[in-house]
Amino acid sequence: MTQQQEKLSAFMDGEIEGNDIIDAIKHDADLQAKWQRYHVIRGAMRKEASVAPQLDITASVAAALESEPAIVAPKQSRWRSIPVLGSVVPFAKQSGQFAVAASVALAVIVGVQQYNQPAPTEPFMTAPTIAPQGGLAPVSLEQSRALPRNDMNEVLERKRKINALIADHEQQIRLKQAQEASAEEEQVEQVNPE
Amino acid sequence: MRSSSLIALLSIFLLLSSITGFSANAQTSNASLNDAEQSGKQATQPSQDSEDNTLPPLAASNTAGLTMQKNVSHWLGQLQRIVSGANFQVTFVQTKAGKETVPYLWRHGLLANGSEVEQLNLQNGPGRELIRVNDIVSVFEPDVAPYSLHSEHINGPIPTVLVYHPTQLLEAYEFVPVGRARVAGRSAQQIRIVSRDNTRFGYQIWLDEETGMLLKLNMLDLQGGLLEQIQVTTFAITPEPSEYFSRINASSLPKPMAMGNSQTRNHNWEVGYLPLGMREVKEDTRRLALTGQVVDYKLFSDGLVDVSVYVQPADDAIGGDLALRNELSTFLTLTDGKAQVTVVGEIPLQTANAIATSLRPRPEN
Repeated sequence: MTQQQEKLSAFMDGEIEGNDIIDAIKHDADLQAKWQRYHVIRGAMRKEASVAPQLDITASVAAALESEPAIVAPKQSRWRSIPVLGSVVPFAKQSGQFAVAASVALAVIVGVQQYNQPAPTEPFMTAPTIAPQGGLAPVSLEQSRALPRNDMNEVLERKRKINALIADHEQQIRLKQAQEASAEEEQVEQVNPE
Repeated sequence: MRSSSLIALLSIFLLLSSITGFSANAQTSNASLNDAEQSGKQATQPSQDSEDNTLPPLAASNTAGLTMQKNVSHWLGQLQRIVSGANFQVTFVQTKAGKETVPYLWRHGLLANGSEVEQLNLQNGPGRELIRVNDIVSVFEPDVAPYSLHSEHINGPIPTVLVYHPTQLLEAYEFVPVGRARVAGRSAQQIRIVSRDNTRFGYQIWLDEETGMLLKLNMLDLQGGLLEQIQVTTFAITPEPSEYFSRINASSLPKPMAMGNSQTRNHNWEVGYLPLGMREVKEDTRRLALTGQVVDYKLFSDGLVDVSVYVQPADDAIGGDLALRNELSTFLTLTDGKAQVTVVGEIPLQTANAIATSLRPRPEN
């Protein structure tokens, strides 16, 4: 074994003619793996980008998945004693794992969407919201519809009253000077200019 | 096996955190941008002010107080003389915080027949034209039949009392000379006008050194923030009155309306607190034009600002206490028992509140 490793190493460095070592590599999986690893190491040491360490995860993941039920569910549950359910439960468990994986993926997507959204321009409701009536109030279709309309009317009415006062204030200011100047007691007589 | 699933989880977390970290970075960079913008804005505004606030040292103003005061009255006298005694044409713009700039044309003339004429014209949109011939002001507005009023001055954006009768303001306001500045391309004298009891907004005016004409007027809140600005863009003083006035036929202007002197019963309430120099100008009981509500009304003025106080029964009141800001005006309404008190005017909210809470029943005689 060690002899063949040395030969392999020497062959890679071009120090020996490698007919027999090639044969040996062909038939020995261990040597094949070593052949690959040595090349990766050499590539890394020479900083050759072309030789990337091809970590073959697929095989190990497949292997892990294969052996998983044996580790996760080693003990007999009472479901197993029931013939039909016994074969169903592992499948349910597996689908549960899928669900977990899917939900994690979903979380990632949702997270991405959330963080990519533009910042909300108006984070707070400016209009005062009036809480619905208490639970003891008699509930009817009529009432639940009438409530918001009343609120709207109230708001409008309030605005109207505020505007009336502001408009009046502005009018009074405009008239103030005229008031001061008008000493005469003439009747209102408006004549359009000819 | 477990380690592989752990790695998968870890990688997801890494992915997540890298995304969130990224976006968080983006947000912070945005925020810092905003900050920079704001600070930039802030930086530009004070620079405007700092240019203006070339205040003389306090000690100097104290020792030279008398000459300074003389100086101010000299400049105000100049202003008074030119606005009522010269043929001039002025264009100016009025800017209010958060509003569009409004341009005006202002002309004044003394005609050969001895009559004094004045014109103020709003230059944007459908416009608004005010023409004064001696003591009659005619108003031409869109959607309103033209009418005339008795008035010695046109009541425009420039406070008339400040321009024509500045001495009337001395009780309420202090005039502080600031120094020379350059406005509208001309050398100007700057004067600060502050209320003596610090209950009203302040003003800064710039008067042309050569003629005394008003070149710029700033209205500032108590923190020194700009509320309103009037800036003269061009002005010309001519030996002859403008051509425009020769086209006015005084007899074709609408006849002045007489203001019905509303005789009403005295209110059963009075205002206990008023800012220094503010007086009652008018008092009546009326219906509001828009809602028809009956209100007790008092109008107060210190010459520069007017404050309206309304009292109405609480049952047809607005409902709830409320403080609003409408352009420069403060709108404050308080309900107390059976009456609602509303104060409207270009005064700080604290002052409005002080007035509103000082109302008391008039003692019976």
